[in-house]
This record gives sequence, structure tokens and C-alpha cells, in this order.
Amino acid sequence: MNQERAKRWDNTKLSIRVFLANRTALVGLIIVLIYVADALIMQFDPGLLGITQVNTLVPNFTNPVPLPPSWAHPFGTTFPGVDLYTSILKAIRIDLFYSILVVAVGSVAGAVIGVISATVGGLLDETVMRITDIFFSIPYLILALAIGFILGRSLMYMSLALALVWWPLYARYTRSQTLSTKEFTYVEAARASGVSRTRIMFRHILPNALPPVFIQISLDLGSIMVIFSTLAFIGFIANAKVPELGYLTSLGLNYVQTAPWAVIFPGVAITVFALAVNLLGDGLRDVIDPRRRS
Amino acid sequence: MIIAARRLTKEFEIKANSAFGKPLRLRAVDSVDIQVEEGQIVGVVGESGSGKSTLGRTLLGLLNPSAGTVFFDIPDDVLKEYDGFLRDGDAKGAASIEMEYSIFKKKGEKLKKIRSGMNMVFQDPYSSLDPRMNVLSIITEPLLAMNYMKPDKAFDRCMELLEEVGLPSDFAYRYPHELSGGQKQRVALARGMATLPKFLVLDEPTSALDVSVQAQILSLLRKIREKYHIGMVIITHNIAVISYMADQVNVMYAGKIVESGPKEDVILNPVHPYTIALISAVPGKMVKPNRIILKGDTPNLINPPQGCVFHPRCPMAFGICGWTADEIATDLKYLVNDKFAGSFNDKVVVSTGTGGNLVINNTSAGDEMTLERIINDEKGNMKSLTAIEGLERHGTNIELKIKGYQVPKMYNHDGRKVSCLLYAGDDIKA
Repeated sequence: MNQERAKRWDNTKLSIRVFLANRTALVGLIIVLIYVADALIMQFDPGLLGITQVNTLVPNFTNPVPLPPSWAHPFGTTFPGVDLYTSILKAIRIDLFYSILVVAVGSVAGAVIGVISATVGGLLDETVMRITDIFFSIPYLILALAIGFILGRSLMYMSLALALVWWPLYARYTRSQTLSTKEFTYVEAARASGVSRTRIMFRHILPNALPPVFIQISLDLGSIMVIFSTLAFIGFIANAKVPELGYLTSLGLNYVQTAPWAVIFPGVAITVFALAVNLLGDGLRDVIDPRRRS
Repeated sequence: MIIAARRLTKEFEIKANSAFGKPLRLRAVDSVDIQVEEGQIVGVVGESGSGKSTLGRTLLGLLNPSAGTVFFDIPDDVLKEYDGFLRDGDAKGAASIEMEYSIFKKKGEKLKKIRSGMNMVFQDPYSSLDPRMNVLSIITEPLLAMNYMKPDKAFDRCMELLEEVGLPSDFAYRYPHELSGGQKQRVALARGMATLPKFLVLDEPTSALDVSVQAQILSLLRKIREKYHIGMVIITHNIAVISYMADQVNVMYAGKIVESGPKEDVILNPVHPYTIALISAVPGKMVKPNRIILKGDTPNLINPPQGCVFHPRCPMAFGICGWTADEIATDLKYLVNDKFAGSFNDKVVVSTGTGGNLVINNTSAGDEMTLERIINDEKGNMKSLTAIEGLERHGTNIELKIKGYQVPKMYNHDGRKVSCLLYAGDDIKA
């Protein structure tokens, strides 16, 4: 058994080595970690970065026109006199939290529904798949807006609306993964060896079907953040003082010709995160796939 | 008998083409009788799609049969008694024996016990081993799943098995993707014999491997058979594998066993036309002057040919093999409209009626004489013509009478069982 523990440690070391071998994934990981660190600091000790009001934007109505980057405002300011540097730091916390919430709720619900649908099959499977079809047939932004409109204008409802739009994707993906894994000969071999159905499910099917779903989840974190900020950008936001990256971008929109930084900096904050998450997901794929390890 | 199957039939339902159509039924295995003695190797050979793999899976109870049954560890005299019940149509007596020995009547702990007595080695070791489990977990899985032994003892058993199949013990912590094809198949074999089963199904155990590795695996299998006296069914399309391994050979075609007997008889002296064709297709040093090359494809199992399933491709088929009006019409059209078109007028048409009769329309006077001559001349090449019993003129039409047909049963011939009307002897007087 000692030998097994050693082997397991070797395994972890191998995983790390495989991941580190992918340089771009490493860059992605570092960027994501920076975002996470920022969100944690904002949550627990914002004073560390000299920020006091974490949950609201601080406007300066005496000088509302955007100012270019300077020592006092490293990223400049946006309308109405909001300091972009501190606002972006605040906004990352909100965006990250709600994106993770959307992905977590959507993926867990979707994965559970997908696995059940694939396992039970028959009429249930058919019904669930037709429901997902309905969701897919409506453009997701419009659907999210409609659901959000019914639920009410708050960040929590906004992310709930997105989760409602997003679960069919995971349900579909998990279902197809489960179905194709079920057909592998090793599942039949396990049956021939007298392994019970539940054991086959948890020992053979799920461990092989779910990792690709995890990759999909990690990849989606970036795109969800983009969509979340898109909704805020087009005005789906609780009030005019919420620090949110999409909303920050929209504030500077009227000044884009005279003060491009007001749009560029919040936009870059969104794009860099989405890119970093994608790179990270790529590296994770290498780690999870046993064939890429040898 | 460690395993005996009687009238084993497996049908698969196939979705109909239209949403409201009836589902179609594909009969992959059609009332097959097969038995394996303790320590005996029984070969099942046939081309792709003949139902060999389905038979193997049904023998293990991995698939539920549509009809028929499989007995595990049944005493010979009980099996004989059961055969008697089947022959006499005594459903009650048969059912009582089924209750006792059929693997499909067992449940719970008893089923687990039977399960640990049998296992399977699959064709493709690349997909039959879970890529996320190491060799130790793979080999000990049947031991733990069937409560065959305690987890702490399973480790020692795994080491024992690895040695048995000729792998070093440090392979226990390797993953399948780190092994070669032959090594994987050895692991699969170790898993198959982990619980010391009395019966193993080997589904094309070597066809995914290099030729050099094939020989190693086969001799390993033989060694294991000698040592543990395991009854095996080896499913393959490779005659060489059969002739090296098997004691008994069953030849399958379109879900049916067409010839069954000791290896020496069936391989060296085949009597069923299909077996003859199969064996003569094996490449060898000798030039075979009387090699039979089959034409056409294997039959559609959703709608199999009537009579003998092999008759459309059979080089020795004759009148009562099951020729239909359509089959004869296809050949007649070729003769009348192409090959001997000069002997008939241009308007001659071969048509099949709704009642399964065969008519040639628009003939001129004297055509029946020509036709009779042509049929007699071509009978040797076109076996379907042998089913034509006679001609009858109605005005300008000539009606052809078709012989009745018979379905071949298993006939005893020359030390083996064969399902071909050529060997029916006195049974056919039709």
C-alpha cells in the first residue's frame, strides 16, 4: 500500500509537470490567479490597495469628463469622474463571483440532469432533450434578458437568469459524454466481471465521462464573464453605482473618440480574463487526458 | 457440460424507417445449440455479421436471449433429459430443468456465484480496459465485485495472476496506455481468469494483435487451459486460430450453426458447402483447383432468405433449398432478355405475380421448347433454375411452376452435425 501512495504522489508530480510543460497554460493560470487574488483582497481587506467603498463607484460630479491616465489616476477616469483603476479592481470581484456562480449552478444542474437523462433514457430522456431544444432555439442573450426581466433587476437574478440559459448546454454535453462512455467495451467487461450497475456508473462511466465536462466548465468561465458584462453593458444592472466591468465600459462609450482609455481599460480587463481562462482550460485538458501524459 | 445452450435465439429491435412504422427485428442468433465440456475449447467461426459475438455474449448472460436458454454446470444426463423434453414438446419438464440450471433464472447471490464461474476476454484490448484504472484495479475488479475474496488478499492474487500471464509484478501500478497491445491482452486475460472461472468466452482474442504476439497469447491460453481445466469458447474468423486451439468447431452463418463437429473432421474434411468455401478461402501453399469463391454478400438478417439461409450464395444449391419467384426471375430475365435475347421476340417480359408465381408474358409459339432447353443447359451455372418444376402455356403467357422448399435441420453426417439438405437423406421426399 505504501507503494501505491508513492505512485499516487508520482502521479501528482506528473500532472504538474504535464501542466507546466504547456507555457501558455501557465500564463493563463497566473493571470487567473491574479484576478482571484484581487477578488479576495477586495472581499476581505480592500484597504490593502487603498480602496474604501468596495460595493459602489465613487463619482466626482465636479469634474465628470474623463481624464487621461496620470499618477493620480493610473488608468484615467471615466464619466462621471470615476477613477478607472480602483473601479476595475472593485469590478473584478463582482464579475468573478457572479460568473463562478453562473457556471457552478448551471453546470451542476446541467450535469446532474444530463447524467440522469442518459442513464434512465426513454421518455424522460426524450422530454429533457426537447426542453433543451427549446432553450437552444432562442438566442441566449434575449432569453437571459427576458428571464431577468421577469425575475427582477439585481445581480443575483441576473446570474440566475444566465444559469437558467446555460444549463441545457451542460445537460447536452454530459448526456452525450455519458452515452458514448456507456458503449465502451470496458463497461461490458465490467458487467462480465459481475460489477453492479451502480458501481459501473460510479467507477467506470462517470470518471470517464465527466472530465471533459469539467474542461468545458473551466473554458466557459471566461465566456460567461463576457456575457455577464454584455448584459450589464446594455444596461441590465441594478443601479447606476454598481462596479461592473461591462457597465464601466458603457460609461465611457459617449467619450470613446476623445477619451478611448475609458472604454479600453475595462474592456481589456474582460478580454484578458476570458483569454486566460481559455489557456488554462487547454492546460487542464492535457493533465486530465491519460493519453497526453505518457 | 459446463455450458450448454439450447435453441438460443437473440433478436434485436431496429427502429423503423418512418416514425410510425413497426420496429424491425434482426435475428442475430437463430436457435443455436452449443455445448462446452469442462476443459474443452470450442471454436465458433464465421464471417463478420454471422452472430458469433452475439452468441458469445448471450452465453454469458450479458445479453438476454429472445428465446431458448443457457445452462451452466449441468450434469450430462440432466441435459439429455432436457433434450428429450424438448423433442417431445414437454414444456413442463423442460421448465423444471430450466428453473434449476438456466443462468437466466438465477438471481442475487446465486447469480453472483455463477458470474464468478464465467468471464470474457474481448477482442480489442485497447478499449476493454478502463483508461482511468491501473492494472491492479483492473485485475482485482472481478474479485472484489463478486465478493470472491477480501481486498487485502486480492493484492496477492493480482501478483499471482500477473506472473501467470507473464507480466512483471511492477506492472500492477501501470495504466493501460503505458502497455503494448499484447501486454494489454495479457492483463485482460488475467482479469478474465481472476476468479478461476470454469468457463471463458474469448471474443477474437488475437485479431487486434500483431502476428508475433498472437502466437504468444494463443499458447498462453492453451497453457492456462491445461493447468486450470477451463472450458472455453473461442470466437474468431481466423481458421488458423481455430485449428490451433479448438477441440470442437462450430461454423456459423447468418445466425445459424451450419456445421458442428470435432476439429479434425470439420477443418480437414468439411461437408457443408459454406464450410467448404470458408476453408478453401484460407491462403496456403497449395493451389486449390476446386476452390469455391462465394459471390454476393451475407444475407440481410432482418429479412433472411427463405428455406436455407445460405442458398442464394450456395454453389451446390438445388431445387428445394428455398428459391423464391423473385430470385428465379432475376436469373431468367438475364437469360431471356440478355444472354439468349436472339431466341425470343423483343416484347418478352419476365414478371412475378402477387401470388408468388412466375410468368413470362408475350411469348411466341414454340418459345417453351427453347426455354426448356435453355433452363436445362444453364441449370449447372444458375442454381435457381433447378427450382423450376415445369412450364405451362396460357395463351401468349408461359407460367413456370416452382418447387416447394424445405428448411434444413441438423443432420448427422460423417461424425458431425450439418445443416444442409444435401445430407438430409430420407428426410426429404417432397
